[in-house]
Amino acid sequence: MVFDVFFLQQVINGLSIGCVYALMAIGFTLIFGVLNVVNFAHGEVYTIGAFVGLMVITAMAPPLLAVVPLVLAVGAVSGVGLERIAFRPFRRFTDEASQKSRAMREATLLSSLAVSIVTREIMMHIFGGDMQGIPSGYLLQQPVAIGPIMVASGSLVIFATSAVMLGALQFLLYRTQTGLGIRAVSNNQLGARYVGINTDRTIVTTFAVGSMLGATAGILVGLYDGAISPHMGFAPGVKAFVAMVMGGLSSIPGAVACALLLGVSESIATEFLSSGWKDLITYSLLVITLVFFPQGLFGHGRERA
Amino acid sequence: MDVNVPDARLMPDTLAPPAAFSGRGRRFAWTLLLLAVAFGAVPAAIVGTGSSYLAQIAITTMIFVILSASLNHVTGTAGLLSIGHAAFYGIGAYAAALLSTRLGLPFVVTLPAAGLIAALFGFLVALPTMRLVSIYFAVATLGIGEMIYVVLLNWVDVTRGPMGIRGIPPISLFGWQADTLLSRYLAVAVIAVACVWVLHRLTHSYYGNALRALREDDQCADSMGINVERLKIESFVVATFFAGIAGALLAHTSAYIAPDNFRFMESILILAMVVVGGLGSLPGAVVGALFMIVLPEALRDIGDYRMIAVGATMFLSILLLPKGMLAEGTALGFVRRSFSRGWATIAGGTPVGWK
Repeated sequence: MVFDVFFLQQVINGLSIGCVYALMAIGFTLIFGVLNVVNFAHGEVYTIGAFVGLMVITAMAPPLLAVVPLVLAVGAVSGVGLERIAFRPFRRFTDEASQKSRAMREATLLSSLAVSIVTREIMMHIFGGDMQGIPSGYLLQQPVAIGPIMVASGSLVIFATSAVMLGALQFLLYRTQTGLGIRAVSNNQLGARYVGINTDRTIVTTFAVGSMLGATAGILVGLYDGAISPHMGFAPGVKAFVAMVMGGLSSIPGAVACALLLGVSESIATEFLSSGWKDLITYSLLVITLVFFPQGLFGHGRERA
Repeated sequence: MDVNVPDARLMPDTLAPPAAFSGRGRRFAWTLLLLAVAFGAVPAAIVGTGSSYLAQIAITTMIFVILSASLNHVTGTAGLLSIGHAAFYGIGAYAAALLSTRLGLPFVVTLPAAGLIAALFGFLVALPTMRLVSIYFAVATLGIGEMIYVVLLNWVDVTRGPMGIRGIPPISLFGWQADTLLSRYLAVAVIAVACVWVLHRLTHSYYGNALRALREDDQCADSMGINVERLKIESFVVATFFAGIAGALLAHTSAYIAPDNFRFMESILILAMVVVGGLGSLPGAVVGALFMIVLPEALRDIGDYRMIAVGATMFLSILLLPKGMLAEGTALGFVRRSFSRGWATIAGGTPVGWK
């Protein structure tokens, strides 16, 4: 056989991890698109999604399908709250000089970072710093046989959910008035305001949508891995950030493709290297991309692509 | 009329120092005051209270003063947002630790060697990444910082991985050993003051002005004959050199280092110091480092909530002081009035301005 079964299985695991990174990376990309700032608190939205999901499961034991809309709602609320606390105060300077100023942009970046530190510490106080187990009835770890390959049911759920959410996102962006607004603001904020788009409301919507995707990714990973902790958002946050940059900062298909690439290359790397070194693959891919394709793989300036 | 003398009507009053207290006097007074605090008040407090905890904070503060001053050089003055600074701090610390524990080299050799090794890595990193602009450069430094962390953590044969390196000898100089707390503090403080002085001379010179020109508009600076690429690389190398020095000091004062001291959050802490103090302002970087190290320690009584307080303080200071505690404009005016011959006065009390 040309392909090792184990190898194929690793690819499928990698694709499901990649889907999680992709859901996070889309949130990053949407928010970067409309605001031109990196949202460092996105990993915390992911953690909040996972913890709220766990709380709902332990408190009410609802069917699995009922957890998802709840987590979506929580994601939307936390996104709006995040925008209100960490981003809105810094948009009070609307003149062109402030908008282009490096200091202002770095201040916004750091404010989202400060908010993420505070959120993480508060969660540490509420839930404790240790890993928390998910009730076994909800774990998505049953093996499912597809031909010779055994796949965890969690991978399939992650594939299905990501596909549905990506489809919904495409519908939202390209078939609705709201999506038109988001695309307009991300293309040119000032121009969008001139033609009568309510940019504030569009930005809030973008945060809500992006955070919904992030929170869903959080609970999916929680159910798949079986344990969650307040620190769980950091690593996927950084990976999704890397995927966004590799994809070219403002291209959603680019971010998704790069997220899948990262997931697959990480899980293949564990076959050749010990798991400690697998992060090196992600970051070398990032640096190599940046050095040879300075605008990202799917960015505007594709003169070297 | 001498063209070098600016028209008095064009000079705002606030910029003109009073004739009785000219540039040189002020410079002397401020230098004396700062040195008195660093070498008088703090050691006196350490001896007076005899608390090793206080001494440890003072040493940490001095190390972070070097780090934030050096990050300010590259991020504030030259405008290259670097979010992997802690990794070069780590390279310096590991270089010093390995050279002294494996090869038994003395501190006089390990300190500059740590700086040079970190600077060498900085140079290798800077060469390919200097073409990147704004956020792309920031992300590249993030990636390289994490790569260095992964190597420190997993290259067990050399770095002993997560176990870290123990038993690093204390600072020693030709037979004199800094084994008491006070001497350890004094040694670190002397080096920190020297580093800040060098960075001060670099930043407040024509060279520093070229760096600022680069930050404001690199294409314009290029067209004015400034060698942009070279300046960017130089400023990055200088910053990583001082980060390496800070790492060596950490290794020799704490006797134990582990990869977790040099993670992403540490880089962010250093960046927060620079931003809270005021991007581009060297006094601001020093004040920011003091603030961000001393504040969590002062809040230790609140116990577990101190990290929340740190985050909240960081947020509030960014919100309420968007330009930092000592904004660059203020700081430059202050430094030029107090420390620089450029604002020296001639006989009539009129400032000469830059010659």
